[in-house]
Amino acid sequence: MKIKEANENAKIKQAYTNAVPDICDVILSECGQEKGKVIIMTETGKKKNTVKYMMAAAGLVLMLGAGTLITNIYRLNFAVASTVSLDVNPSIQITVNEKEQVLDVKALNKDGGIVVGDMDFKGSDIEVTMNALIGSMLRKGYLNELANSILISVDNNDPAKGEMLQEKLTEKVNELLESDGFFGAVLGQTITESGDLQQLADQYGITQGKAQLIQQILEGTTGHTFEELAPLSINELNLIISTGRSEVEKVSSLGNASDKAYIGEEKAKETAFQHAGVSAQDIVYYEMDMDLEKGVMVYEIEFKCGGFEYEYDIDARTGKIVKNKKEIDDDMPAGAQKPASGADSGAGAKAPGTDSSGAGSSGSGTQSSAGNTGTSNHTGQNNTGSTGGSGSGAPLAGADQTASGIITLEQAKEIALNHAGQSASAVYFDKLELDHDDGKQKYEIEFISGNTEYEYDIDAVTGAVLKYDWDYDDDHNHAVAGGGAGAASAAITSDQAKEIALNHAGQSASSVYFDKVELDYDDGVQKYEIEFVSGNMEYEYEIDAATGAILKYEWDED
Amino acid sequence: MLSETSMEKRKADCNPDAVDKCIIGIQRQDSGALEEFYHRTSASVYGFALSVLKNTQDAEDIMHDFYVLVWSAADKYRPCGKPMAWVLTVTRNLCLQKIREYGKKSDIPQEDWENYISGNPNMTAEDRVILSECLRSLSDEERQIVMLHAVSGFKHREIARLLEMPLSTVLSKYNRAMKKLRKIYGGEQ
Repeated sequence: MKIKEANENAKIKQAYTNAVPDICDVILSECGQEKGKVIIMTETGKKKNTVKYMMAAAGLVLMLGAGTLITNIYRLNFAVASTVSLDVNPSIQITVNEKEQVLDVKALNKDGGIVVGDMDFKGSDIEVTMNALIGSMLRKGYLNELANSILISVDNNDPAKGEMLQEKLTEKVNELLESDGFFGAVLGQTITESGDLQQLADQYGITQGKAQLIQQILEGTTGHTFEELAPLSINELNLIISTGRSEVEKVSSLGNASDKAYIGEEKAKETAFQHAGVSAQDIVYYEMDMDLEKGVMVYEIEFKCGGFEYEYDIDARTGKIVKNKKEIDDDMPAGAQKPASGADSGAGAKAPGTDSSGAGSSGSGTQSSAGNTGTSNHTGQNNTGSTGGSGSGAPLAGADQTASGIITLEQAKEIALNHAGQSASAVYFDKLELDHDDGKQKYEIEFISGNTEYEYDIDAVTGAVLKYDWDYDDDHNHAVAGGGAGAASAAITSDQAKEIALNHAGQSASSVYFDKVELDYDDGVQKYEIEFVSGNMEYEYEIDAATGAILKYEWDED
Repeated sequence: MLSETSMEKRKADCNPDAVDKCIIGIQRQDSGALEEFYHRTSASVYGFALSVLKNTQDAEDIMHDFYVLVWSAADKYRPCGKPMAWVLTVTRNLCLQKIREYGKKSDIPQEDWENYISGNPNMTAEDRVILSECLRSLSDEERQIVMLHAVSGFKHREIARLLEMPLSTVLSKYNRAMKKLRKIYGGEQ
């Protein structure tokens, strides 16, 4: 079966390979390296194609390398003292000489071109030029109430001079924006030129200034990639910076980024509180960031109330709850947690089952006013339990949650333990969370037994094991490898390793497709990394190459 | 410079380390590296473009544009052990650009690729049958998946990422496509 398929693949590969027209010489000659052969193109059709090729190539190169080329050419031909770039969404690059007279103004993207239009700035003062460009951006609607942020980046070989010019321009632009009866937000920075920055700028077709800004945001936060942030406007980036926890160094900021395109913090807060069933005056801790989640601007709201910690991501445009999470607040001292949790039990227990909790017949399914009135008729029992069992067995879910259609935490724990073949007394629970993700509620349970870490995701409605992961403690493995026959070469073959994995997964070789079978050397242990797919399940195994022991495995439903 | 035979051996060999080395050579503007790069990757680039556009002239154009672009913009590439992912992503972007160009004017010209295939002296009879069936019997997505797996050596997971499809979709499409092709082999053997 496998051999047959490999054979088929080889035939397909051969068919495609032989079908390729040989234009290697054409390419080599066009790429400036004549190999002694001159390709004469006599057919008119071909000629036309060549022109087309070159035009297309030139266009692409220009798109990709605009920043580099322009910067480089001008540095060679004119005595460029500083390069100033303006980013809103239009990106414009201005080069000036020592006297701060404009040598050239280049639009770096299409919007930039619209802003510059047919204005000619050569020889003008930089301030006059800025004035005209900002005016044009305002007139053409690139700077408006919804997006009012502008980034000014100055690149000068002499950092002190660059900084002076940057400060001057930042202030000037801020003045300009204000005098137009408009509240703008100006970010200013000097650029420290580096190859990396240029590479990023070219790769994503943005200015070095924007690239540096994004890099700084990435340094201060986690969970984002450059790729994600590159398409955002300066206003969106400014919102992330100004609400973020970490200060972005090297960037001076005047004015506030507009969030008028969004629902606003107050509205987001209200949505989150209402969903959690808590009222504003009971909140003991609150924090809001604007952030990007899966390409969508969100209000990230965190707050603590009644011994629980809540996290909400609210779509900044639609006000929809994208993600919510509730967990027992570990930071809170037990004493402080107790009275608060009593007061809020109804609301607390209700939140996970929001969708159907209104139907709760146990009497605790009151609306969000529950926390407000400091109700006393709620089942205090659950919560006393929850504070007492700190960490290892806090029953997050009470009896009234089963009424709302989801299993209790205790049940979820039992499912996980049974699946892992462990008993509650032998394990230590690391994490017990009810998470609401992608419209699905699940318990995230992590526990440790001996030197193995277990991670489970349990469907809160059906009790099904959605995902699990067992992981041997690394440190322990080191010891074994060092003391045992670790130095010996792989004692088992890749076929044996595959068999071990298949047996464990309860699959047969004919029903799976192997994605990866690799012998790897990691942490001093030689192991096979095996990945295969069956139906819509993905399996990942790590098999100790010396002993054949399963070091780690993961099943994942795609 | 490599001899003809050793170059022949490297034909369509997409070994990541070797391809990475070629790109690094291209960054130094080494035309020998470009030549080797061409031999290793042209089947993937052309094959993918043909799979998407189903037009041999357009596929050739894309292939040409691709190498000229790589020659001038190789410094944008940072070696990460997955050069083929980069190669195919750039190729795909060029194809999508082509489709957009056509989209503005008219549909993609229907071309008689059968003539091209039957007139290609490098192809064996079997090659012709296989390629024709890939183009005729498979859906666009099936063809792209089969080609990426067989020619470029992509894992299904990597194909899923490149084509922005769920892995399970890639797998089922792949299996369906191979079944279709097997029928043809069956009839022939």
